[in-house]
Amino acid sequence: MGYEWDFSVVFNDFDLLLLGLLNTLKVTGLALFFGVPLGLFLALLRLYGKPLVRIPVSVLIEFLRSTPPIAQLFWFFFAVPILFGVEIDPFEASVLTFSLQSSAFFAEVFRGGIVSIDNGQWEAAKAIGMDRNATLRRVILPQAITRMIPAFLERAIELMKTTTLVSTISYADLLYQANNIAQSTYRTLEVFTVAAGMYFIVIFICSLVVQRIEHYLGRTGELTKG
Amino acid sequence: MDYVWDFSAVVSYWPLLLTGLKNTVILAATCLFIGLFFGLFVGAARYSSKRIFNWPATVFVEVFRNTPVLVQIMWFFFAFPIISPFDINAFTAAALGLTLNTIAFSSEIYRAGIQSIHKGQWEAAKALGMTYTQQMGRIILPQAIRRMLPAFMNRAVELVKMTSLASVIAYGELMHQAKTISTTEFNPIEMYTSVALIFFCLIFPLTLLVHRFELKDNSRG
Amino acid sequence: MTKVLKIDNLKKSFGDLVVLNGIDVTVNKGDTIVILGASGSGKSTLLRCVNFMETPTAGRIELQGELVGSEINGNISYTEKELTALRARVGMVFQHFNLFPHMNVRNNVMEGPRTVLKCDASECARRADKYLKKVGLGWKADAFPSQLSGGQQQRVAIARALAMEPEIMLFDEATSALDPELVGEVLETMKELADEGMTMLIVTHELGFAYTVADRVLFLSEGKILEQGVPEAVLINPKMEATKNFLRGHGSFRLPEPNLD
Repeated sequence: MGYEWDFSVVFNDFDLLLLGLLNTLKVTGLALFFGVPLGLFLALLRLYGKPLVRIPVSVLIEFLRSTPPIAQLFWFFFAVPILFGVEIDPFEASVLTFSLQSSAFFAEVFRGGIVSIDNGQWEAAKAIGMDRNATLRRVILPQAITRMIPAFLERAIELMKTTTLVSTISYADLLYQANNIAQSTYRTLEVFTVAAGMYFIVIFICSLVVQRIEHYLGRTGELTKG
Repeated sequence: MDYVWDFSAVVSYWPLLLTGLKNTVILAATCLFIGLFFGLFVGAARYSSKRIFNWPATVFVEVFRNTPVLVQIMWFFFAFPIISPFDINAFTAAALGLTLNTIAFSSEIYRAGIQSIHKGQWEAAKALGMTYTQQMGRIILPQAIRRMLPAFMNRAVELVKMTSLASVIAYGELMHQAKTISTTEFNPIEMYTSVALIFFCLIFPLTLLVHRFELKDNSRG
Repeated sequence: MTKVLKIDNLKKSFGDLVVLNGIDVTVNKGDTIVILGASGSGKSTLLRCVNFMETPTAGRIELQGELVGSEINGNISYTEKELTALRARVGMVFQHFNLFPHMNVRNNVMEGPRTVLKCDASECARRADKYLKKVGLGWKADAFPSQLSGGQQQRVAIARALAMEPEIMLFDEATSALDPELVGEVLETMKELADEGMTMLIVTHELGFAYTVADRVLFLSEGKILEQGVPEAVLINPKMEATKNFLRGHGSFRLPEPNLD
């Protein structure tokens, strides 16, 4: 091809790209930190709440799962200052949006995991006098958690891919940095290819780690020896 | 809250929103059908034991599954035109990114589906004297499709959501229209709320359909 | 006598593992040949080489006097096209039946004639009816495999193979996966086929059946034919030690003739 590749511009600004990558991981990490417990909470509400609570929660979960994340992000970014009179910067809007968005998906993972535990476990716990909360805490959730780990990890990786959206509200993640550098150096091909490559390396490594973990857990969620 | 909601602008701009919705559906449908079609061949290639098919297919799939969709779309819009022999507009870039993405994900569905068919079926078909194409077309795929349907429908749902990313490169789908209108009319909350509701009405029925299919499939065992 | 099948010095290895180490077999028209041997002796592999579900490592196979494959300088090469064509002429019945679950019984039997032989609709229907009737399952033509017992499924599988009107039928432990009380109906069907003059190669553990039906018995051991001959010779008066050990193992608990009147 007649095009002359020049990666030097990329390496000049590589520290900016790394900073972007760091910011990507920051948002993902925080969204997970809030999203997972919130997801558990929502799942329990959906499973065991009174109808007055269960229905709105179900609607909320379905709504968060059936609308595009970018629409959610824009909504929170613009709506929060107007509706609540609170200033919100891109970072905060991103964490808020993705905590909620991921919690909806985690809620379904939790729900699936809890429901998959054999009824016999509930009966055994009941027979020795445990109430529902104790059963959940001591018997059901511990078993469910190991089963759900693969699904969790896969959701977490999905989240890492989804958070690239934050670049659209000018939060300085990896994609945003790449875009900036590309616009100023006109080396769009090299810059975007490198950025894509960086995403690929991080996400691919995480996928491999997840596959390893799934292998150890033997797919059934039980720890297998060796 | 003392904010006064005003949906009048939403109502008066409904033709533009309709156009946006139309473009969303066009992009989603195009990428879904082309993606599901070629996904079969890539899936079969990944299932193949011949390296010449398996390795390129695997590289392709891993690249598109392990990079964010938005990055793929932006790459095709900003980076690809430089080496591309043909013109790239917003639709083409978005369609390229989303179609290749769909091919990669659906190939995994095909591969898993094909793999789930008992080896004995291949043997029985082969022993009758069927060619590979006949084995696939008459025996393996008809059995596999039923199992793959829920996963395909999930892909369709994801795809409809992903079309909203094309707004970033100014393709006139629904999200983009909302952005444009809200910047001129200064009504982002009403705009984005309306658009979220429209997406929900478009996508939620599909997710219900998936649930029904999943239940039906389980009950048949 | 027409030689339907001639196998010359057949060898088959899987990597370093030698499974068949020089097998010579001649099958004449109408012969019923039973292949016996311990597990891992290569019986199934031998059968699967005949219709090239496994490709031989060395050796010649001739069907109806014609060599399968092309020979150049002592090496035989095969094209997928000719193997596919060959498989249409050789019928195979599997241990696990492998009926097509998404088709009913009639369509299962018609599938070969329809897709491989490109018969027209009436010919396909004629064959389906004829061979389903032959195995006694004409009345189940509209049922699906999941609705049939194991024995019935295997008989449908036999009909499916017969519908191709093959020159030779291969049976790969056709009754090994069946509940004991269902084995009889399948063996009966196989005996009828043999009596009607079908050329058959049968791998089985059913020694009584072998004794009654076989024209010739081959005993395989360590990849070679250790002993072969009429059933009287191999099963009642075996000569080789390995054969005797095999028969000893199979005859541990014998039922005396029950009173079934």
